Amino acid sequence: MKFLVVDDSATMRRIVINSLQRIGFSETVEAGDGQEALEKFDSSVKFVITDWNMPNMTGTEFTKVLRSRDDGRHVPVLMVTARSVKEDILTAMEAGVNNYIVKPFTPQVLKEKIDALLPAAAA
Amino acid sequence: MNDPRAQTAYYESEAALRLVDKELDQLRDGAEMVSRFVTVSLADLPLILERANGQIRAVLSHLRETRQALQSTTFEKLQTTHDKIKEVTSATEDAAINIMDACDRANQIVDELDGIDASDTPDRARGSELRSTLRDELFMMMGALQFQDITSQQLAHASSVLVEMETRLADIANLFDSSLATDRPLATLAAADEKTYDPNATIRNAEERQNLADAIFTSVKAPAA
Repeated sequence: MKFLVVDDSATMRRIVINSLQRIGFSETVEAGDGQEALEKFDSSVKFVITDWNMPNMTGTEFTKVLRSRDDGRHVPVLMVTARSVKEDILTAMEAGVNNYIVKPFTPQVLKEKIDALLPAAAA
Repeated sequence: MNDPRAQTAYYESEAALRLVDKELDQLRDGAEMVSRFVTVSLADLPLILERANGQIRAVLSHLRETRQALQSTTFEKLQTTHDKIKEVTSATEDAAINIMDACDRANQIVDELDGIDASDTPDRARGSELRSTLRDELFMMMGALQFQDITSQQLAHASSVLVEMETRLADIANLFDSSLATDRPLATLAAADEKTYDPNATIRNAEERQNLADAIFTSVKAPAA
């Protein structure tokens, strides 16, 4: 299963990708912001993990655009972000995010959220 | 300038100062003009002085308001920035200690693995268990590096506050004496793009914040994937 990992921090991308490998997902593609993520997204991507705060196009903006595309309407989107006030979480939901992880996170939390969304990703 | 009270007081002060400046310019308009003004207006001197006094009082009053408004908003912002920078220091130190602790544990595991290898009857089950623990420790070290992303957001926020303060101070300095304006473009001090950081980013209470997110996603139906 291919994951698209979107974060402007190279450190965070590496941490997320290593976490994914550790729980058994080795096929990944990465992007540094929402714009690059849209360019790299195609129907082979089955799961998206995105940060919120990024240059050019934020994670919520990216998710909205993704949801407007036929090939991105149903792909699970997991947001991993430092933003954690209620209004932000609701905004992410409105944008079309399926679940939410607050930074700093543990691999266990990442696994739980991915496991919960896997049926949708496999569909 | 975000505080509307500060902004109003600031612009009123600026307007009053410009008015006074304009009148002073008129007074400076040549000796003939001054002489005529003095001759013509000598009888009106008390009235002129009273008017000037009133304008000066108005300017002082606006300046006081401006100072108070700027002081309160500036203090609050700088205090927040100070707290953020302190948090960066402690987050960096906590991460460094966590990583060093994990290094110590990893070294002990490697020593124990060496002992197993050197044994005439190596305990392979124990060796396998230790290697798994060693992987966990290495992974924990990597996770601890998440502080870098959060502290960089905190520093970006602190930087943006400092740039805003510098801009405000430059505006005030220019208001009193435009010759103080420098050619150094403030744009070179441009703060980080607001899209790239969260002013509230913190490394603290991650579990509580995750619980809040989970509660919201549970109570409000999340969009179907």
